[in-house]
Amino acid sequence: MAAEPRDGGFEKEKEEEEAAAERAELLRDRFRLSVISIANAEAEKVVMGISEPVVACIADLAFKYTEQLAKDVELFAQHAGRKSVNMEDVILSAHRNDHLAGLLRSFSQELKGKEPQTERKRKKSSKSDDKALAS
Amino acid sequence: MTDETFDTDLILAIFKLVWSRRAETSDEKDEAINVEVGASTSKKNRGTTANASSLKVSCELLRFFVTEAVQRAAILAEAEGSDKIEATHLERVLPQLLLDF
Repeated sequence: MAAEPRDGGFEKEKEEEEAAAERAELLRDRFRLSVISIANAEAEKVVMGISEPVVACIADLAFKYTEQLAKDVELFAQHAGRKSVNMEDVILSAHRNDHLAGLLRSFSQELKGKEPQTERKRKKSSKSDDKALAS
Repeated sequence: MTDETFDTDLILAIFKLVWSRRAETSDEKDEAINVEVGASTSKKNRGTTANASSLKVSCELLRFFVTEAVQRAAILAEAEGSDKIEATHLERVLPQLLLDF
């Protein structure tokens, strides 16, 4: 009912929106830079040139993919009753592609292996090695 | 073996941007009931975060996306005897790429 406070509120919202849009642009630009270096490094590996518009296009697609990924993992975590996204949520987002999910799973296992639990894992693997030798 | 990859902080920042956007749109629906415009209490209740290893796996996933795009387009370019990846090559690998991710 009170008109004046509302107007003030809307102005604040506009400012916040503009600030948020600026932050988003900054993130996009940083992201684009990362894609450029990854894409160029990959092109070098396969001894190929790559045109700038192509890299820009890949950057835009990758950004959209990242936004989609954020949405997916949030949904998965919430579905599991968690507020914090974990590795399984990310791996699950790749469920449509078995090969990709497998790659991510191995990567995640490597990460786990780098944590202080490495000793336990080594003992386990040497046990299974012994069993294999025995049979 | 310095494989280029994304920075986990950058990815986390983008995630948070998306999450707060989503929290906002559902807040707007609640605002009809809430009188206080400045109330970000519902946002705080959502407060989705991500742990460090999930961010690393996310970086890896995104890195795959970029490298797959380049590799597939490169294969096409090479098959056509070109030494440069052009838009026409990316165009043709895009449908399958998007289906695979």
